Amino acid sequence: MDNLYQAIFKGLAPLAKTAVKESLDNGKTPQDIIDESMIPAMEAIGQEFEAGRVFVPNLLLSARAMKMALDILKPLMLAGQTTTVGTVVIGTVKGDLHDIGKNLVASMLEGRGFKVINLGTDVSKERFIEAAKENDADIICLSALLTTTMDYMKEVVDAVKADGLNVKVMVGGAPLNQEFADTIGADGYSSNANEAVVVAKKLLS
Amino acid sequence: MVERAFKVSPAELPEKEVWFAMGYRDSVPEERIQEMARGLIGELVPKATLRYTYQIVEAEKISPRQVRFAGKTFTPEGIICSYLKGMTHALLFIGTAGWEYDRAKEALKAEGDIVADFIADSIGSVLAEMTVAQIEKDYDGPHTLSMPYSPGYCDWNIREQHLLFSLFPERPCGVILSETSLMAPEKSVSGFFALGETLQRQPYHCQICKNSRCFKRRNA
Repeated sequence: MDNLYQAIFKGLAPLAKTAVKESLDNGKTPQDIIDESMIPAMEAIGQEFEAGRVFVPNLLLSARAMKMALDILKPLMLAGQTTTVGTVVIGTVKGDLHDIGKNLVASMLEGRGFKVINLGTDVSKERFIEAAKENDADIICLSALLTTTMDYMKEVVDAVKADGLNVKVMVGGAPLNQEFADTIGADGYSSNANEAVVVAKKLLS
Repeated sequence: MVERAFKVSPAELPEKEVWFAMGYRDSVPEERIQEMARGLIGELVPKATLRYTYQIVEAEKISPRQVRFAGKTFTPEGIICSYLKGMTHALLFIGTAGWEYDRAKEALKAEGDIVADFIADSIGSVLAEMTVAQIEKDYDGPHTLSMPYSPGYCDWNIREQHLLFSLFPERPCGVILSETSLMAPEKSVSGFFALGETLQRQPYHCQICKNSRCFKRRNA
């Protein structure tokens, strides 16, 4: 594995910045760098987390390193007119202030070529719909950590349907499962950040 | 009604509890993460003024799911109620790491470092819990205290936070409650200790709890 992969896997942000510049100097395109080094590193650390071998701070260190590397690549991607895979509006639902998992999902989606509009926490259904319209979003991603706030997801799903908005709704968060997602009429569910990317791509296919 | 404020030094903050709050249950973070946490503890903890308020009211268990505190009916549900045999009084409390900590944490968050934000969040949780520990130390009455129980845990609907707050003056310790029952400052705690001469203090039974959706499972 190359230096960039190692830097992101280990969560070493300064090294990641250096390594991404090295990769560019070696003639790699931003998308190749993302696909060949950055995403595999994030997927690998995600798998380590799932297996209980690393902890949340490790995931966050990796996400931080990835973000710093992406910040270098983004202007180059725009200059090269790299097209986005799709546009995602993401947020933690109203009444819930937890955003660590949601931010990880946002980082992963961004790394895989999605344009991500991160609305933060405590987001109302009106705000989700407004942002989806403003940005011509393909997907709305809803996150919740509390069993008492996950019920608000149904209100968002219902509001999106009532509005007639042509957008898919994905849900995720510690207390959720596929059964819950099906019950509230969500289009997709994922239990972790890696899987969220797969589900999002599937929804757009 | 008792209301107090106190400060803690970085050295008084139990590191083990911080590691636990960060998700390290039977282990400790690697050295670089410990160093980051210690740096943040040194920076943030001196800024915090911890506050708490409590009162002792008459209490009774009226059904396997319900209790009455100061004449008001609460529904903490079966898990918590199973620990309340012998309860005659309850110590109702609200504690907070305070607005000063909240502002310091928000300033850190604005810098965009998600790792520091996560660690600061964990430190804040420990500070808030320290108010509960202090309340327990304060209590010098004749009764046995149960473990503390809070709305939002063990199936107790967080919406009952409003009912609990209705038994306190407005903005106790500066804490406000949102429409969706979340407290601000974010790092605040509320709940009750059951009291009783014959009450037996029992540990949390997460290991036998069937609520697989609880994100606070202590055996997770």
